[in-house]
Amino acid sequence: MILLKFCLILFVVNSLTIGGGFMMLPVLHKEFVEKYHWITNQEFLDAIAIGQITPGPLTVMNAVIGYKISGLIGAVLAMVSSYLPCIIIVTLACRYYFRYKESAIVNSSFQGIKPAVIGLLAAVAIPLGSTSIVDLITFSIAVISFVVIAFTRTDPTFVIVGAGIIGALFL
Amino acid sequence: MLTFFEKELVEKHKWITHEEFIESVALGQMTPGPPIINTGICIGYKLKKIKGALVTTAGQTFTGTVLAVLLAIFYVKTKGNILIGSIMKGIGAAVVGLLLSIVYKMAKNTIQDYKAAIFALTAFFALGVLKLNPIGLILASGLAGFIVYRKKKE
Repeated sequence: MILLKFCLILFVVNSLTIGGGFMMLPVLHKEFVEKYHWITNQEFLDAIAIGQITPGPLTVMNAVIGYKISGLIGAVLAMVSSYLPCIIIVTLACRYYFRYKESAIVNSSFQGIKPAVIGLLAAVAIPLGSTSIVDLITFSIAVISFVVIAFTRTDPTFVIVGAGIIGALFL
Repeated sequence: MLTFFEKELVEKHKWITHEEFIESVALGQMTPGPPIINTGICIGYKLKKIKGALVTTAGQTFTGTVLAVLLAIFYVKTKGNILIGSIMKGIGAAVVGLLLSIVYKMAKNTIQDYKAAIFALTAFFALGVLKLNPIGLILASGLAGFIVYRKKKE
């Protein structure tokens, strides 16, 4: 039953979120952490980190969460239900490309969703920040990571690995 | 990543034309889900229909998924280890910084006028303060977008 719910959430999230993998985080956080308590804030952050340092889109973090919830089956089902909506929507959109591209419904609603999900992502940073930023060192790590990723072309993987090393030494 | 695709698919193997490639990239950006995967699905579909779409998805996601599962196994097994705990604490703080930098970058690209800013701010307060359901908020913002932006085009 948990697995079914889990897959359904992933299916819905991946059918709705436009603008890249990070945009699914607000929904996932709400459902997995706050509503069903399947994972903690810290585990959610860890899953994001693993999703980020492995090749391919952030979506693989769902495999990590799936594994946490119910082992290998959870991981495999997580991937299937994450990518199934993409396959369905993209093949349809590909087939009817011009109609899709010119569709007033698609364009105008996406124009509303795009800025909204940015606001949602900013809002979800609050509970995650209050879990992980607990002292001066963690605060500095967060600030430095922000500045480095936002204003330089450094790959976030390096920042995450660096933060892990700092964590091992000082936390 | 995209330049690599373009070189291999268009220039070297000539499986698709440059126009088809550009079309696939655009489609990846405007469909839900990860853009790169979606671009791949579109190219796969153009080449071999549904079979192509399925194979490209599997191909693109396989390595990442296997690695992520291996890390997940390691992560679950080492739970409680003090050193791993410290490392993950450092990483958790970095992830928050990463999220905020994504917000910053996306906002810079997407929020170009006051209407978009209102969408973003409303969503922020609706989730951050009012704790409304994000799935509902995404649907609502899509509906609001349809109402606000639909007329402008005609």
